[in-house]
Amino acid sequence: MPKLKIARKSTWVDMTAFVDVAFLILSFFMLATKFKPPEVVKIENPKSVSSENQPEKDVFKVSFDKEGRVFVSFSSDQDGKEKAQLTAEVLSRQKGLGLTPAEISNFIKFSVGGIGVPVTQLKSFLNLTDDQYKSFKQPGIPVQDTLNNQLNDYLNALLTGTGGRKPENVMLNGDNGTTYPYFKNVLAAFKKNGIFSFKLITSLEGVPAGTPLYKKRKEQQTK
Amino acid sequence: MGADVSAPDSGGHKKGPGVKKQTRKDTKVDMTPMVDLGFLLITFFVFTTTMSTPKAFKLNVPDDSAKDEEKSEAKASGAFTVLLSKENHVYYYEGQLAPDGSNFKSSNFKDIRAEILRKKANTPEKDLVVIIKPNESAVYKNVVDMLDEMQIAEIKRYAVVDIFPGEVDLINATEGGAPPPGGK
Repeated sequence: MPKLKIARKSTWVDMTAFVDVAFLILSFFMLATKFKPPEVVKIENPKSVSSENQPEKDVFKVSFDKEGRVFVSFSSDQDGKEKAQLTAEVLSRQKGLGLTPAEISNFIKFSVGGIGVPVTQLKSFLNLTDDQYKSFKQPGIPVQDTLNNQLNDYLNALLTGTGGRKPENVMLNGDNGTTYPYFKNVLAAFKKNGIFSFKLITSLEGVPAGTPLYKKRKEQQTK
Repeated sequence: MGADVSAPDSGGHKKGPGVKKQTRKDTKVDMTPMVDLGFLLITFFVFTTTMSTPKAFKLNVPDDSAKDEEKSEAKASGAFTVLLSKENHVYYYEGQLAPDGSNFKSSNFKDIRAEILRKKANTPEKDLVVIIKPNESAVYKNVVDMLDEMQIAEIKRYAVVDIFPGEVDLINATEGGAPPPGGK
């Protein structure tokens, strides 16, 4: 019986095309990526139909997480840094904290990620190193009762420092699961300092079909 | 390694007997590690990237310190009050709350849109005002969702207002819970 000869086939696969695809995707992600800003709190934003992009310049942001811990943060651009410095200086003067220049520069640095400590703890908090800051569980700025709404102190220091000039973008970054009283107290602090217009950070959601807004947007598109 | 599509043989012509024949070298490079590296980087970027950019939702709140005369008085007939409670419960009533709570109705986030649109259709625009009253256990998401509904339904006038004790009692009665101790 003749033996069937099986042709030996090479197992070599040409990977070149594969590499091409891989690097194509890679370059897409490299160009499209924007690194997550360093944040010490995990916040899940609610959804809204608003399609306006979140501003990045001259931002003052108040965040509150699920447990109701409240944080303030400034954007890392020049305007934000300036305002963070003014806030720290005024806060130090008003509350007699006696912050050193090193502590104030730490305030500016930490304020990008978020500061959430009561005013009394601020001085010791600002002596943390960068690594300690990341692992430190901040208690949040107390807002619970109206008498001791310390967010008020921060806002007041900010507005005193800038001479009443409000940051261009006052943002409110809230978590889905925070109960309403915290939101109310944050609003109360805003109102008390004359900030009546601000922006909530939300993630995008489609407009439901058939609603007035849906029709309006459709009209705008066809125009 | 298999197929031999290799470099063009430069020394095509015959060499003398003493000259060693040039060995043909395969120019194929093993791409596997390169692919590995490529995908490793892709994975890295996929995990660090934020694809959905956050959006800004504008909100204006009234100045509470404004004098009462300056406040725009809401016509009771055009008012539509939405009460928010725990676990996404929604209640609403039109106009003023009847003393016996007969116009107090229960709803949810799906159905409330139809109710708001119905109210909008039946009410002159200048009278229509939607009042949102979250109770203590309503969450931030509910409030923003409700504000979002205002955008969706294009309600021009709406307000977030503190809840009244009577309304809290009604919600508690509906939800079967005992009134909170020393109720607020």
